[in-house]
Amino acid sequence: MEISVIASSSIDEGIGSWDLKTGKEQLRFKQCASPAHGLTAVGEKFLASSQLRKESTSSGSIFYWSWNKPQAEVRSFPVEPIKALVANNEGTYLVGGGNSGDIYLWEVATGKLLKKWHGHYRSVTCLVFSGDDSLLISGSQDGSVRVWSLIRLFDDFQRQQGNTLYEHNFNEHTMSVTDIVIDYGGCNAMIISASEDRTCKVWSLSRGKLLKNIIFPSAINALALDPGGSVFYAGGRDGKIYIGAINATSEYGTQVLGSVSEQSKAVTCLAYCTEGNLLISGSEEGVVCVWDPKSRRPVHTLSSGKGKGKGPPVNNIQIVRKTIVDNSNKTQSSWKRRGSLMPPPLEKYERSGEDTMDGIVTVDPPPFSDVPVYSSFLSADLIDEQVRELQQQGSAATEIEMERLKLEYKRSLQLNDQWQKNYENLLQVVMEEEQIGGSN
Amino acid sequence: MVRSKAPAKKQQKKGIDFKKIKRKLGRKLPPPNNATNTEIKSKAIILPEQSVAAEKSGLATSKKGLTLKELLQQTSHHNAKVRKDAIYGIKDLFKNHPEELQSHKYAIIQKLRERISDDDKLVRDAFYQLFKIDIFPACKEDNQGPMVSLLMPYIFSAMANSVIDVRLMAFKFFHLVVENYPPTFSLDAEKILENYKDIIQKNHFYVQDKSKLKVALSGLAHCLSLLPCDESDTESQKKGPLQNETLLAYEQDTAKDCVSFAHVCGRLKEIVGVLINCFQDFIPLIHAPRGFDADSFDCIHHLLRSIGYAIKFSIRRHMQRQTAWQPASEEVTLMILDQDIASILLKNLLGSFPLNPENNLYGKGDERYFRLNSVLTEIFLEVSEWSHFPTDISNRFLEFIENTLLGKITRSIRLSKDIHEKTLLALFPFVPKLILRVDRDWRDNLLQAFTIAFSDCKPESELKLACISTVRDMIIPNGDIFYPNASDRTVNNYQVAWVNKLPSLLNQLGDKHPVSTQVVLQLLLDLGRVGYLNTSPTWEDDIRNFFSLCQGEGDVPGGPFASLPREAQELALCFLYYFTTDKFSSPMMNAIISCCLYPQLEPAVLYRIVEILHTAYRAGYIQITDHFGFLITLIARFKVVPEKLQSPIECNERETYCGTFKEVTKLVCSCLSEMGDSSLVLQIVEKVLLEQIILKPALDNGCAILRMICVLDSTPTRLSERSVTTLSEFLPGYMIDIVNCIPEDKENSYLYIQTCLYYLVPCYFLFNRSSKLTEQVLIRMRSMISENTNALELVQDRESGRNSLNLIQCIISVILLMHNDVKVRKIISSFKSEIDLILQNVITLQSSRSTSLTVEGKHMMKIAGERLRIASTSLLA
Repeated sequence: MEISVIASSSIDEGIGSWDLKTGKEQLRFKQCASPAHGLTAVGEKFLASSQLRKESTSSGSIFYWSWNKPQAEVRSFPVEPIKALVANNEGTYLVGGGNSGDIYLWEVATGKLLKKWHGHYRSVTCLVFSGDDSLLISGSQDGSVRVWSLIRLFDDFQRQQGNTLYEHNFNEHTMSVTDIVIDYGGCNAMIISASEDRTCKVWSLSRGKLLKNIIFPSAINALALDPGGSVFYAGGRDGKIYIGAINATSEYGTQVLGSVSEQSKAVTCLAYCTEGNLLISGSEEGVVCVWDPKSRRPVHTLSSGKGKGKGPPVNNIQIVRKTIVDNSNKTQSSWKRRGSLMPPPLEKYERSGEDTMDGIVTVDPPPFSDVPVYSSFLSADLIDEQVRELQQQGSAATEIEMERLKLEYKRSLQLNDQWQKNYENLLQVVMEEEQIGGSN
Repeated sequence: MVRSKAPAKKQQKKGIDFKKIKRKLGRKLPPPNNATNTEIKSKAIILPEQSVAAEKSGLATSKKGLTLKELLQQTSHHNAKVRKDAIYGIKDLFKNHPEELQSHKYAIIQKLRERISDDDKLVRDAFYQLFKIDIFPACKEDNQGPMVSLLMPYIFSAMANSVIDVRLMAFKFFHLVVENYPPTFSLDAEKILENYKDIIQKNHFYVQDKSKLKVALSGLAHCLSLLPCDESDTESQKKGPLQNETLLAYEQDTAKDCVSFAHVCGRLKEIVGVLINCFQDFIPLIHAPRGFDADSFDCIHHLLRSIGYAIKFSIRRHMQRQTAWQPASEEVTLMILDQDIASILLKNLLGSFPLNPENNLYGKGDERYFRLNSVLTEIFLEVSEWSHFPTDISNRFLEFIENTLLGKITRSIRLSKDIHEKTLLALFPFVPKLILRVDRDWRDNLLQAFTIAFSDCKPESELKLACISTVRDMIIPNGDIFYPNASDRTVNNYQVAWVNKLPSLLNQLGDKHPVSTQVVLQLLLDLGRVGYLNTSPTWEDDIRNFFSLCQGEGDVPGGPFASLPREAQELALCFLYYFTTDKFSSPMMNAIISCCLYPQLEPAVLYRIVEILHTAYRAGYIQITDHFGFLITLIARFKVVPEKLQSPIECNERETYCGTFKEVTKLVCSCLSEMGDSSLVLQIVEKVLLEQIILKPALDNGCAILRMICVLDSTPTRLSERSVTTLSEFLPGYMIDIVNCIPEDKENSYLYIQTCLYYLVPCYFLFNRSSKLTEQVLIRMRSMISENTNALELVQDRESGRNSLNLIQCIISVILLMHNDVKVRKIISSFKSEIDLILQNVITLQSSRSTSLTVEGKHMMKIAGERLRIASTSLLA
């Protein structure tokens, strides 16, 4: 497995890839003009990107590249142009956000369109999975950020009851949302969203409300989260990379990590690599720059092989770990049965009828129709209860510990007695000897 | 007791056997020897001080000369009159010495609180007045919590007093406390409600006196109005403003406030029952032919309001529980689902709607009936969401609502305006849900009525704001209200009608009511976000007028936009972003440009406009040609020196405008460079830019246009032959202007050169990219010099002579400036011959005997020639 950086551009210049450690350029994948957030690695298996197309064509397109071939191997054509594209960590599902605000969920192995729903009023600009892949967060040009639970999306019962599909709808951004990151807090995570309205907003996933609003001097194009969790990096349209403190008391974020070059153009994308703690930025002028966030200095720049230094404008950067699937591997996944290494293309329409049901997770309707589904999830309450118990009476563990200590105490008391006895004996012996010696 | 004078006698002792004692009359017997001395001696006698005689200078006293301590002592005097006087005395004391109250606040309250259950009515009244007028207003700022907690036990015990008047006073006083310190209620809500229930239940004993019942009911209504209708409300209150919260910090699990309210629900149910019973007692009075008096009205009004608050509270809580996936707790659901309450409500309360007197003789009474009816309607609206009512009752209510919206009732009974407005304010929030609920006919009627109400109210009024938020609910789908878009033509038509009113409303509001404007803009923005802006032509006109009033050239009075506060402007610009989708016509663009050029506009807003439009272009909302048009027009028409401002501070003004313009130029250049392949972009805009160049723009604008060309052009130049020629015609004049316009700063030559450099750099770039251009420019300069030299020879006129001389000097300065720059020196060194020719000219001029050349001029020429010669020789090297 190797770690490499891939970067795609909005003009048809392909996808560049570099080894992160050496900075050496690797294979260049051809024929790719991706929109922002339209590039994703599907698991560690292959690369997928949505494509910018001419206005005239009504359908969109998504291409797959395997790690070792520069040509796009699989081409699929969804019903409308797809802007944002993301796969879950395992690479089993692919989610695309369309121009009309619809969101599509495909199963990668079969290419089936499992679900299509109207997510936003305007085109979807970015999609992010939560750390455990259970939630999907989408940002849109209409300025809204919505949180979807993948399980509830398939819950027809809820939908019939007229409940809204989304878990949360964050509406406070006044302009298009440009990027979203989610931290590692699990179900209690914080979401940070950036927007063209020059603000970044921090949301609580569990409470579903705005926690913080940070105003920047310029519109923010890209976000990356520091693994420490208290700081995030924001790439501005003025070419600077800002450092935003989640916990800052001031409303304004003005701390600057640095700018790519003196008269630089907008920073378009950021990625953080936890191996080696590096921040990678891509900019409108085509420079892919690797930063050391601690020293706030650029480490090196990744340049395209043409030697010009400045490549095409970059709008996506991803850090990928490649696992090259070779033929000798045991082929279990369904797509390999077809004799190809790559999965089949994605389908255009949702299939209706029975056959959609096989292989899909189904959610049983709750046992009592008037009890909300989620009231049966008791884990948090249970933990609370145990904590309370622990505070009140102490657990079995402390009791055992207590016993042990008592025992030890007793033993040391005995030991103490013994030592004392020994000492007295010894003293007596010495005294006797002294007396004998004195008399002599 | 005077002592006898013994020592005087001692001298007579002369050894006589028997003492002859001569006694004089009137003398006293000497005391016997064995007498006990009963004398008491002391150094001083201390008597307890008499208050009348006490020295009180320096102490605060009342009119009667009593100190606070004395007065407080007297408040517990056994005589009622003394107690009363003492309280008046305290009042008097505070009037003259307010600081006494501040320093002894707690002591005073600790003493005074006993008086709440005083037997005497006058004392109680005095006590109440003292707190109402003096103590509470004075303690407004500081924390009243401890004060109130001192009072509460006494209030509670007084509430349970056997004397009914004392109890009433306790309620009256409690009302006062709650008014001053609202959290009082939430602390002991349950106990307080219990007490209220008690007293209202027993009202039969004194129902004759409505004014007494009123005391209790008004207090109850006030308390219930404090019930939080949103659980989030209480939470946000506790958390305070957003920014203060520390994230990623250890969170203390504090007991929530709403927990204390959880038990209230059961109590509320009882209270509602009691209140409805009480209402029943009033019914004969209501229908009495003579109507009822003010006190009864107040009673009924408070009573109905209390019911309304109680129901509202329990319903809202129930709804929140449902949406928040919390298991519905027992007592909350009771309220709504309980059939008893529902049926009692229906039969005894809502069934009696509308309340009307038997004969309509009393005009004043009608207003009262209207107010009662409107409260009843509110209750109906709350409840009807949850339970179904018989059609005839619903219809009666709906008719009332429709008439109120239409203002029919107002006209018929001459209702005072503010009561009507208040009712409307209460009704509006229910309208969206109500319209979804009722059947088709009623829906159309209500929509119609609402539309009329919407257009009838004044633009800046609170009513309009309420209307706007109602409109928002009826168009923009949110959590629980979802309007079927487009599925229904009538609804749709009304929606369009409302939206169409918004822009003209913006203009009516102008810049005088920023808060209202902000609300309207927010709605417009949200409509834009969800894509609900189907516009008519007048709509666009209004939006245009909002940004810039006048389309004509010349003086541009900025629209309301320019003078709004920053937040409103930001909202307007965000709205513009969504508005530009397919609707960015050229008049609209002109309006935006003239708005940008409005001199009073803040620079930051100007930059933001450029940024927003560029963003809109990137999102594909604005056509590329329009965007070019916008950028170039902005640059070409921006006035660095506004004509109007010819004041002494002009210099500074110019500086700031210059700075702004430089920033704008930078922004525009970066926009241009982000628009795609620069050679293609150059091809598109080349012609337009050069057209602007031919018009000979002002120095700064020229510089900006040259910079735009430079950003797009590359080395070697991609400009066409014709463009190069045009530029070569323009540049000499431009460069002379630089030298002419920027006053040479002798003291700070570095600054001077930097300033010049800003204007010269684009020329240098062009020279570097095209040697042909350089050559042509130098040739033109040379020919200008020779022309002017000739002119000097021939013309006798002093004035024109000076002009020519000046021009020659400027050209020489330009060449010297160019020579100063290392890179440019290299470029022009290949055209040394031209410079030599210029030198030649200057030398001939020096030796000329023209009369128009003064001695001073000659001297200057000599210096210039000398400097040029040095420059020219260095070019060789």
